[in-house]
Amino acid sequence: MADEILRTDGLTKYFGGLCAVGDVSFALSDGEIVGLIGPNGAGKTTLVNLMSGAFPPSSGTIHYNGRSVGGFKAHRLNKMGIARTFQVVRIFKTLTVLENIQASLIDRRRYGPWRLALTSLYKRAYSLDADADARQEAERLLDFVGLTDYRDELAENLPYAYTKRLEIARALATRPRLLLLDEPSAGLNPRELDDQIGIIRRINGQGVAILIIEHVMKVIMSISHRLIVLHYGKKIAEGAPEAVYRDPRVVEAYLGGDAHVAH
Amino acid sequence: MTPRTTRRLLTAAGLAAFFTLPLVVTDRYFLHILVMTGIFAILTSSWNLLTGYAGQLNLGHAAFYGIGAYTSAILATRLGINPWAGLLAGGLLAAAAGFLLGIPSLRLSGPYLAITTIGFAEILRLVAMNWVDLTRGSLGLYGIPPLTPIPITSNVSIEFTSERNFLYVLLIVLLLTVWAIRRMIRSGFGVTLKALRDDEVGAESIGVDTARFKLTVFTISAFFAGVAGALFAHYQRLISPDTLSLGETFAILTMTMLGGLGTLTGPILGAVILTFFSEWLRFVEDMVKLDVRMVIYGLLLIVTIRFMREGVVGLLVKLPWWPKTLGKGGSDGR
Repeated sequence: MADEILRTDGLTKYFGGLCAVGDVSFALSDGEIVGLIGPNGAGKTTLVNLMSGAFPPSSGTIHYNGRSVGGFKAHRLNKMGIARTFQVVRIFKTLTVLENIQASLIDRRRYGPWRLALTSLYKRAYSLDADADARQEAERLLDFVGLTDYRDELAENLPYAYTKRLEIARALATRPRLLLLDEPSAGLNPRELDDQIGIIRRINGQGVAILIIEHVMKVIMSISHRLIVLHYGKKIAEGAPEAVYRDPRVVEAYLGGDAHVAH
Repeated sequence: MTPRTTRRLLTAAGLAAFFTLPLVVTDRYFLHILVMTGIFAILTSSWNLLTGYAGQLNLGHAAFYGIGAYTSAILATRLGINPWAGLLAGGLLAAAAGFLLGIPSLRLSGPYLAITTIGFAEILRLVAMNWVDLTRGSLGLYGIPPLTPIPITSNVSIEFTSERNFLYVLLIVLLLTVWAIRRMIRSGFGVTLKALRDDEVGAESIGVDTARFKLTVFTISAFFAGVAGALFAHYQRLISPDTLSLGETFAILTMTMLGGLGTLTGPILGAVILTFFSEWLRFVEDMVKLDVRMVIYGLLLIVTIRFMREGVVGLLVKLPWWPKTLGKGGSDGR
């Protein structure tokens, strides 16, 4: 396949004796939006954790840009272009909204801790007071997710829906090629949901491939180019959203053994 | 006047007062208290960088202080190394120890890390107590030379045996320490440390190599504490394993918490308040014939944590006349 950016083969993760993800193989292409769905406990977040380097796989491989990256640490994968958000937000709560972005804008491929610390002694490296480029980029990202009015607010004081957007902006600030979104719409009201769909579409419009875990069908059906369904850690279906939605195995996974497909 | 000018004027006035103080004060006892305040201010500022900003609970800071003190003292007394070089050597060896203590922090956090750091300092204290050949054990190392005089002309030189001249050296080192920490905190480095403190997994997800950042900040923090220890050795000219004690770390912790953890001025303010306060307590202790200092430190800590989480600085920023530019997005440029 042309422009494939990520491929997993037989990806498996055990927690003790529990198989959270079992033998999952799939591929993502550049610039596509893939929805990852499945009932609670299906292993969706575990799969995203594996792809983002939160922990190494028990077996199986992950290739990113043709390179085997299974077992790479999260910070390393981020530097290679994989960014993510979290189901339960993990923003930096004692930092301001702007500083949350500032932390992500630092070019961490070039600036390791020593270089950053020593540079700060003679130059205001990545200080938003002094670095006009960094500030402009931070402002642009805040504007993109509609948080400009809150930029000097402490992140812990943000309404819930905005913390989700801040996390997205923070992930974008690292200039990803692949963005993994773990339930970006959970807990949002209908209006916020529409805003969120708009944001995700615009990110994709800039050429970023997106893998999105989502329970809200309105979101997943309207933006996904393709769906992957997990059930008990196994991939049970994959394909165009409408086809997957009618797939008897998928309906069975969601509704139980005796359910019939309604047409 | 713009807030920026106000701030610059305040800084200039503060610095002027800072450097004229040793000239105005003539009482040697008072000068001694100022020296101890300065040493503690370096210790609290460096501890604050590691624990306040980077969130790594280190209860073994006295170990770095003690390593700096013993390194410079042993180099000077045994090998005749120039004390000025000893300051650097003390800082560097403490930094190496900081790097080592940083390694467990890669796997441990919170109370587990705290206990490990206490253990680290205790082991070093016991080494200093028992390696009598090197350290003279609990007798302490004495006969440590003062900082070598700096020659001005062939027959005039600056001596550092007087409290006043030593105080000037100390003030310069303190100023450099605070300046360096301030620069780091206000840059991308400081923002990264705070991000790491707030959410380690979140920090990893934006490309922060949290392991290397922790090792770096442990090393930097320990360096400053080591220099403070070496300065103390050449000032007091007698050091004992007490410099490595948990009580020493506890004093640093109480000062920083009282002044304001995770703020730039808080640790210095705390060092000033508690050094003077504990000298006053000596008189009280003489009167009541009881060692009440640790009891009072403990009470102060409880009151601070319960009623003023952000310390004295947290209270000051609430005052209407306090320059608000110091508190952008949180007290004191947090």
